[in-house]
Amino acid sequence: MIQALVLTHGNIGEELVRVVEMILGPVTGLTADTNRGRSAQQVAEVVSSWLTGLDPEHGGILFIDDYGGSCANAALLGGADASQATVLSGVNLAMLLTFATWREELPCEDVVQRVVDKGREAVTVVGGAR
Amino acid sequence: MKLVLARIDDRLIHGQVTVGWGHKLRPDRIVLASDEVAGDAWQSRVYAMSVPPEVGVLVLSVSDAAAALQSPATCDLADQRVLVLTGTARDMQRLVDAGAPVEQVNIGGMHYARGKRELLPDVYVDRDDLQSLRALGEAGLEVTVQAVPGIHAEVLETTTLRDLETRL
Repeated sequence: MIQALVLTHGNIGEELVRVVEMILGPVTGLTADTNRGRSAQQVAEVVSSWLTGLDPEHGGILFIDDYGGSCANAALLGGADASQATVLSGVNLAMLLTFATWREELPCEDVVQRVVDKGREAVTVVGGAR
Repeated sequence: MKLVLARIDDRLIHGQVTVGWGHKLRPDRIVLASDEVAGDAWQSRVYAMSVPPEVGVLVLSVSDAAAALQSPATCDLADQRVLVLTGTARDMQRLVDAGAPVEQVNIGGMHYARGKRELLPDVYVDRDDLQSLRALGEAGLEVTVQAVPGIHAEVLETTTLRDLETRL
């Protein structure tokens, strides 16, 4: 099964996962963690530990909230670059809903592409002053 | 060269540095002083990738960083606004002892690790940390804790550090 870790500042990831499960029900293998109270090395250890538990046949997606921050650094320093995981920054609700919806039906690379597309589509001017 | 911030932060280059302080202080270059990172090409690359494109990064050993800050022209730092980072209080002390022209030290984050005690939120210290911070204070540097601009800067008085050190 394709797994995902949502690694963010504060409790963004935890809340996103909670809302995904409020909408879709429990999603096995979708977990959240935080950089809160942790050094760069400690956050990197969260990543390396998660990578160790991945199913190598299906891989995984590591969602982070911001490129250039401690979570992104931790993703790379924790070994995600040379692993079965894809690292995606800019996590939003649409991305996680897409992940949860398609992960059992498509291979990981296709799930990644859908997640990226849906995540980008979700960032749009909905109304108001133009 | 204008040294705009000298900071101890065990996350090194991250959002509080590049976005928080970066927006306020507009550094041209970040000097990351760490023997460990300077000795690891992959870590150096990761941290160099973490900055906005207009900011340059120099990853140097602590002794090379001290030399660069003393002779800025040798590393194209002469007319630059420079933000210097160390991952530990000990490295900041080594930097200062080696002659880096640091007058104030900002503590951004010294996170919990086994054997450390909470001094302030996100600032955990052991005896070695306290010794280094006290030494910086005794050398005449002002040591403050301030994660980001716009919040209260807590001054760590040398006497307070000395008291804590004896109690640890």
